[in-house]
Parts: sequence; structure tokens; C-alpha cells
Amino acid sequence: MPGAIAFEFPQLYFTGLWLTIQISIFGLLSALVIGTIVAVLRISPIAPLRWIGAAYVEFFRNTPLVVQLFFFFLGLPLIGLRFSTDTFENIFRAASVGMGLYHGAYVAEVVRGGLLGVDRGQIEAARSLGLSYPQMLRYVQLPQTFRSVIPPLGNIGIALVKNTSLASTIGVTELLFAAEIVESRTFRAEEAFLAATLLYLALTIPLGIAVNALERRMLVAR
Amino acid sequence: MRPDTWSMFLNPAIWGFFFEGLRETIYISLVSVALSFVVGLLFALGRLSRRRWIRWPSTFYIEGVRALPVLLLIVYFGIKGSALFRPIFGPDFELPRFWAGVLGLSMYTSAVLAEIIRAGIVSLPRGQTEAARALGLSQAQTMRSVVLPQALRLMVPAMMAQLTTVIKDTSLVGTIGIFELLRQGRTIYTQFFNPVEVLLIVATIYFVICFALSQASRRFELGYTPRAARVKIQDIALRDQAA
Repeated sequence: MPGAIAFEFPQLYFTGLWLTIQISIFGLLSALVIGTIVAVLRISPIAPLRWIGAAYVEFFRNTPLVVQLFFFFLGLPLIGLRFSTDTFENIFRAASVGMGLYHGAYVAEVVRGGLLGVDRGQIEAARSLGLSYPQMLRYVQLPQTFRSVIPPLGNIGIALVKNTSLASTIGVTELLFAAEIVESRTFRAEEAFLAATLLYLALTIPLGIAVNALERRMLVAR
Repeated sequence: MRPDTWSMFLNPAIWGFFFEGLRETIYISLVSVALSFVVGLLFALGRLSRRRWIRWPSTFYIEGVRALPVLLLIVYFGIKGSALFRPIFGPDFELPRFWAGVLGLSMYTSAVLAEIIRAGIVSLPRGQTEAARALGLSQAQTMRSVVLPQALRLMVPAMMAQLTTVIKDTSLVGTIGIFELLRQGRTIYTQFFNPVEVLLIVATIYFVICFALSQASRRFELGYTPRAARVKIQDIALRDQAA
């Protein structure tokens, strides 16, 4: 059976899978928070806030994620910032934070598109009814954005799950690293990577189907 | 910060070392994009084919590969690349690491480009195909002389944007021993114990290249691509935004 090797090394594969899931969930949640904040900055009426938002997006989108991860893992401790004194915790958190910061930039662009898609008349009506700018964001602009951004956010989620594999480069024993360890022990590369492949597909394919289904429902609803 | 960690950058040899890495990064990106374009075009046409025995395997390849982490493909070819080609090139064949990296990157990028090209073809108005067919062109002729030239021109900005992604992804082939920019940087900071400074410089070099490219592709895009195709391509690009 393809992928059966995972049951010969359940400790490695399933701990790896669990780490992949944990990093994905933490990364996605923080990316959503960061992305929303940065998107609001980017459409803010105050110019310096817009510049900060734009600088954030351009910097994190135009440098490789591995470089960022190496920086969080090796660079930050040298300037006195450490996520944890425990080595394992430290790299795990560096990877999770790195995922959040990098994908937050992509989320920000999607959310910004959604915010700009809200009809200007609504914003003006809300403001002239006496809502402050933050209130208008909170009650008028952001809620309407939510629906249109779900399909693209799902695609970012899929990219994020795949990108957790980069955590292996800083030593997190997630799924890909587990497969590499099994390969080096058994020299059965095909089986070892096929098992990891199947486990990745088990995460990304359902996500993809969910995104497509949501996309279709959104189209109908419109 | 410790005082002497920047002074080494006054040495031109260090910059030569960075430059060697940058050259490798650019070289591997261009080769991968060229190869991926050819393979991606074939799979895009395959997925649009009316024959099921062509369409299904093409769809399977595109969707399967796009669902995988690009690093997994790179590591796999790094370990098994030589063995894969031994049946063809003889038992002593060693796949150069450069080509193992190109294979990993290209396999992934070809699937992404296939989707981008397909989106371009599908977004062309139906009238184009119908008119060409009514004028008596065969289906293959229609594709070659009418649909593809227009679709590919629409796709130029998206492909430039994809080149940015590929350049960022080349930072992963350092893991299989190709001395690209990041890998050169890692060698430097292991010698001089200054990862903060080196990584900042490496990040800046990537940033300058990728930012310039993405600005250029955005300029191309203005008023050029139909909106439906643009939305579709943005979705594809988001899912494939690796590393």
C-alpha cells in the first residue's frame, strides 16, 4: 500500500504531521490578524500609516520566506530577542511567527482589495450618519469585506500549509523533515516521500475543495 | 551590536562571493522558468484537450503537483535525481545538483504556469475561436495562429510575476547543495558569526530584484488583461505563493 511506511515510523510521521498542523493553524490565525491590521493601515486616511502598511507588504512579499525564517532563528537571538529559552520551543515559535508575518502580507493585499470593493456611498452614508472612522470600519466596511475575501484567503491558507515545509530548514521536525529522517535511515526515498506527499495532500486537497465550494456558493449568492 | 561585524563588508572578495551566489540564483531561475514554460504550455493544452486520455492525466499532474510543497520536490530530486536517470544514461550517471534543483523548481512551476496559461486561453472571447473555425482553420491551426498568440500576450505580466516567485523559491535549492545567494550568505556568516548583518544584506538583494520585477509586471498589467482573467490569475498566484 502506498504510504504504508508512515505506520512503520508512526512516531516521526504523525508527530511531524501534528507539528505541521500546529504551525499552520498558528500561522494562519496570526496572518489573518496581521493582514487585517495592515490592510486597514493601507487604506487609512493618514498618509504615514499608509506608508507603513505599504512598506510592510512590499518587504515581506519580496523577500524569500526562508531568509526570514533564518533571520528569526539565528539573527534575533543575537540581538537579544529569543522566543523561548528552550531550543525546540524557540525554533517552533520562530517558524510559526515567520509564517504569520510572511502570509500576513498576502492577507493584507486581499483584505485591502475587499475593503476597496465596498461601495463608497456606504462609507459616506455611515460617516454622515455620525459614525466615527473606526466605527465605520468596524460596523460597515469590514463586515462587508468578509464575504468576498474568503475564497482568496483559502488559497493563502493552502499556500501556508505547503510553506510550513520550510520550517524543516531551521530544524523543526515537521512532516518533510520526518520524511527526510526516514529516508536517511531506510534509503527508501520513494516510500518515505510518498508518505509525506500523501499526508500533505490529505491537508491541502480538502482545503482546496472547501475553497472551490465556497467560491461557487459566493458566486451564486451574488 | 558587536563593533566589528560590519567591517568585513569592506573587503571586495566578500561581495564577489555574494555575486557568485546571485549569478547562480539568476541562472537557475531563468533556466527553470524557460523549462517550466514549455512543459506548462503542453499541460495547459493537454488539460483543454477534448480527448479524455490526454485531459485526465494533465489535470492530475497539474492539480497534484500544485498541492505539494515545492521544497519536497526539490529535496526529492536532490536525493533521488541521479537514480531516476540511471536507466537512461547508464549506471554511473550523476545528476548535477544544479539540474536536480532545476527539476524540482520546474516541476512545480510548470504546473502553476499551466494554470496561468489555461486561464489566459479560457478568458479569450469565444468569437475568436468561432471566427477562425468558420474561416476554415483546423482546430490545431486555430490554437496556434489565433488563440495562443493572443493568450500568451495577455499572460506576460502574470508570467513576470511568477518569475518573482521562482527567484524567491531558488533560496530553497541551497538545501540540496547549490551555492545560490542565500547559501553563499550562510557560508559567510558561519565564518564571521554575523548572521544578522549577512541576512539583512541577502534580504535586501532579493528585495531589490523582486520589487523591481513586480513593479514592472504591474505596469504591464494596467488595462491589458481582461478583469476575469486577472482575478483568476490572482487566485492561482495566491495559492502558489511559495517561499
